[in-house]
Amino acid sequence: MTWRAPVPGALALGTLISLWSLPFVRFAPNRLLTGDGLAWWRAPLGLGHWAALLPCGLLLLAWRAQSRATRVVGLPAAALWLVALPWLAGMAARQMAPEVDGLARVSLGAGFWLSWGLMALLLGELLREAAWPVWRRVLLWVGVLLALLAELSGGALDHLSLLREYANHQDAFNLAFGQHVQLVALSVAPAALLGASLGLLAARRSRVQGALFAVLNLIQTLPSIALFGLLVAPLAWLGEHVPGLGIAGIGMAPGILALTLYSLLPMTRGTLAGLQQVPAAAVDAARGMGMGSWQILWQVELPLALPVFLTGLRITAVQAVGLAEVAALIGAGGFGAIMFQGLLGSAIDLVLLGVIPVVALAIAVDLLFKLIIAGVARHD
Amino acid sequence: MTILQRFLPRRLLLALLLAGSAAHAADSVTVGSKIDTEGALLGNLILKVLQAHGVNTVNKLQIGNTKVVRAAITAGQIDIYPEYTGNGAFFFNAEKDPAWKNARAGYDKVKALDWQANRIVWLDPSPANNTWAIAVRKDLAQSQQLKTLTDLGRYLQRGGRFKLAASAEFIERPDALPAFQQAYGFTLKQDQLLSLAGGDTAVTIKAAAENTSGVNAAMAYGTDGPVAALGLVVLEDVKGVQPIYAPTPIVRGEVLSRLPHIRDWLRPVFQSLTGPTLQALNAKIALDGQDAGRVAADYLKSRGFVK
Amino acid sequence: MIEMTQVSKTFGGARPAVDDLSLSIAAGEFVVLIGSSGSGKSTLLRMINRLVEPDRGEILVNGVDIRRQRPEDLRRRMGYAIQSIGLFPHWTVAQNIGTVPRLLKWTKARIDARVDELLALLHLDPAEFRHRYPHQLSGGQQQRVGVARALAADPDVLLMDEPFGALDPVTRGALQEELLRIHALSGKTVVLVTHDIDEALQLGSHIVLMNQGRIVQQGRPLDLLRRPANAFVHDFVGRTEIGLRLLALDRVAGRLRPNEAAVGEPISADLSLREALSTFVARRVDRLPVVDDQGRPAGALFFSDLLERQL
Repeated sequence: MTWRAPVPGALALGTLISLWSLPFVRFAPNRLLTGDGLAWWRAPLGLGHWAALLPCGLLLLAWRAQSRATRVVGLPAAALWLVALPWLAGMAARQMAPEVDGLARVSLGAGFWLSWGLMALLLGELLREAAWPVWRRVLLWVGVLLALLAELSGGALDHLSLLREYANHQDAFNLAFGQHVQLVALSVAPAALLGASLGLLAARRSRVQGALFAVLNLIQTLPSIALFGLLVAPLAWLGEHVPGLGIAGIGMAPGILALTLYSLLPMTRGTLAGLQQVPAAAVDAARGMGMGSWQILWQVELPLALPVFLTGLRITAVQAVGLAEVAALIGAGGFGAIMFQGLLGSAIDLVLLGVIPVVALAIAVDLLFKLIIAGVARHD
Repeated sequence: MTILQRFLPRRLLLALLLAGSAAHAADSVTVGSKIDTEGALLGNLILKVLQAHGVNTVNKLQIGNTKVVRAAITAGQIDIYPEYTGNGAFFFNAEKDPAWKNARAGYDKVKALDWQANRIVWLDPSPANNTWAIAVRKDLAQSQQLKTLTDLGRYLQRGGRFKLAASAEFIERPDALPAFQQAYGFTLKQDQLLSLAGGDTAVTIKAAAENTSGVNAAMAYGTDGPVAALGLVVLEDVKGVQPIYAPTPIVRGEVLSRLPHIRDWLRPVFQSLTGPTLQALNAKIALDGQDAGRVAADYLKSRGFVK
Repeated sequence: MIEMTQVSKTFGGARPAVDDLSLSIAAGEFVVLIGSSGSGKSTLLRMINRLVEPDRGEILVNGVDIRRQRPEDLRRRMGYAIQSIGLFPHWTVAQNIGTVPRLLKWTKARIDARVDELLALLHLDPAEFRHRYPHQLSGGQQQRVGVARALAADPDVLLMDEPFGALDPVTRGALQEELLRIHALSGKTVVLVTHDIDEALQLGSHIVLMNQGRIVQQGRPLDLLRRPANAFVHDFVGRTEIGLRLLALDRVAGRLRPNEAAVGEPISADLSLREALSTFVARRVDRLPVVDDQGRPAGALFFSDLLERQL
């Protein structure tokens, strides 16, 4: 028996298995305890149980159907699943923990996360098979995202533990958002400038490369928590003796400084790689035609190095978004503060509240840079 | 226009700005606290009281454990934070002194020592006692008739099954677990201990409530909220081994002399925080999940301390 | 036009790349520097526009020592084309060609007109090629743009470093014809470096054969073929191929008998004698009919006339 589409088939099968064998939601009497898991068929979904037919149908399509049927039926089915599953979970939560101010908590179980994630992969796979152009794919994902946002703002998910934590910590959440973006922006920007300068230096004087990258590699291997901790004392000393700068041993300053140091290696490498792949013939011709050194740099080398440089910037920014999570340990704030609060206070959904936005932010930054790079590299 | 005339106004402006920012920095109060639940509550209470009286505050709450916060105030990084009287034994290497077992005596001692050594003023304390305690699962307490720590000592000597989840600080500090062991005649072996990072008892209590890794007892604090709600029972310290840990705001001397009314503003607030009150407020934050700042603000408003 | 007096250059190694060399290039000449690898021909070329600075000696262009000007100014008044072409990938054809005019701050209108003029000169339709990017061009088209770019600011001197080395034989031949045509039309001084003796003989009005940094022999192509100065030159111009190369220098039009006729498919009067010889042997005949560029009969070429003595 050969499958027409083995990969979507495997993903649909995985979805069904995770629905059946893993808990869909968990019910706990309060936010500190883990609670009991409820599998798909035991959760109070009412007619929603029949939604499991969707992955079954997709499994069938993957086995037998022609590509056109898969496109027409499979794509909307997968998209519908992604939108409907959180709504069903929200409905179950409303049943199990009806009072908004009560102690009981309903959280999303492993079964929910896995089946949602596998279905998202399946949708991506179907889109790839259907060979849709980029703009149409982006449109579909934006549509799914908008539907989810509508559910969130409409209050369909409010009884879930994750949303209860958000409701209780909204101010802290907004503050953390601003601080996290600040941490990333204020560290990546100077690292980009400094890294670009170092990369240019390394490109011009190759003897410097060995020592430079030895130092940068060393910095990169330092565990982030250790580096944050090491910076507290010197910055505290600096803060005492130069009060006008507004630096302290704890807080944003050591966080930004450490993040900048970690961002230096990818930025320097990106600049150097970009400059090294500029065709030597173009530079030779430019010199021979009478361009001065600065003119060659600005008009020939930098524009041609730009796509690779921007890729380095993309990698650096995404890395900084994730690394900023740890900065909360030294009082720099950001989403890490919420995550650590949840860890120490043994509230897992508070941990998720501090982690999921960071993942979303990293994906958004990555996509944004990919779009910019695609725009810049049009004619290469 | 000469060069001097062109640049002088700019330098003047810069100097004014720096002086201004320094002055601004000079009249604000940096409020710190420890990273645990009660620290968040007490720190927010101090912060909101100061703000209600129009003081410029800088929020540095929940920055770390006892060591980090203590280092921060002695270095002048923070100006005021809530500490416990019993910790004086730890700061000044005076664990053997019996004065700590008495609320009044302990308070006077740490107040004198800290002023002498660091020019730090201990303001008025709360009557609660947030001392260390050991709580066991209710089913274990019922089946083995455990009510006090003496009962626990006897149970352990009988070879009863026991595993305690506690923080590293609790296990190692001489006035914590070692003091209990000495007074009640038991010694816990390595496989009877589960050491967890951080001092928040929510994790230890949860571990005991869910029997994670065979844990059936947890380190807890006297003012913990979730103990009863999670099915644990605190064992009484009948021999009074533990020092008294009364929550007290402590402030740097020069900040207090700049704003002497801080003492009067905080006194009634801290005096209203009895043991049961603190437990209820802590439960709202840890069990209910409410934001510590909001809980603090609601409490202050409900008791009329702020408008 | 260009006077090089006792120039020398050594790069690190013991042997000099250019060894006490003196060369005089008259205006309007098509000078070809030829030699095997390591003969110093590229180094010599790059000394003219100061991409390489000589250790000793002086170079005068139009009577002025080149060291008295800024290198950038000197280079902007000379065209420079290289083997790897080196078009700027992020600029259109028009922007590439307009590089030096922009450096010289020409007006936009003047640059646009010049770009169209040069594209037409190199048989590239301006409307089609102006807005293309280099990666959209074939190798031959790219080098045409490279030559156009070198000619953009209308320099008096054109320096070319093995410009057609990377192209296939057909494209190479076409571009060589173009270059000859442009040289004839414009009267510019061209200095071209190559290692291909056939290319040198076809293009050059004055050939300079170099070896190990020195000039072995220089002169007209006929001089090197008929009177090689030594065995090295003799070997370089081809030993057994000398006769064919001599034939390649002449056209059918110069040897045909106008009042004669022959049977068979006619050959063009414009063909080189070497190609005519190849046709004789292929068809196994001893006379061929000849037509002019309009296709009208122009006479016949006899096999024996190929051996006619040079005047």
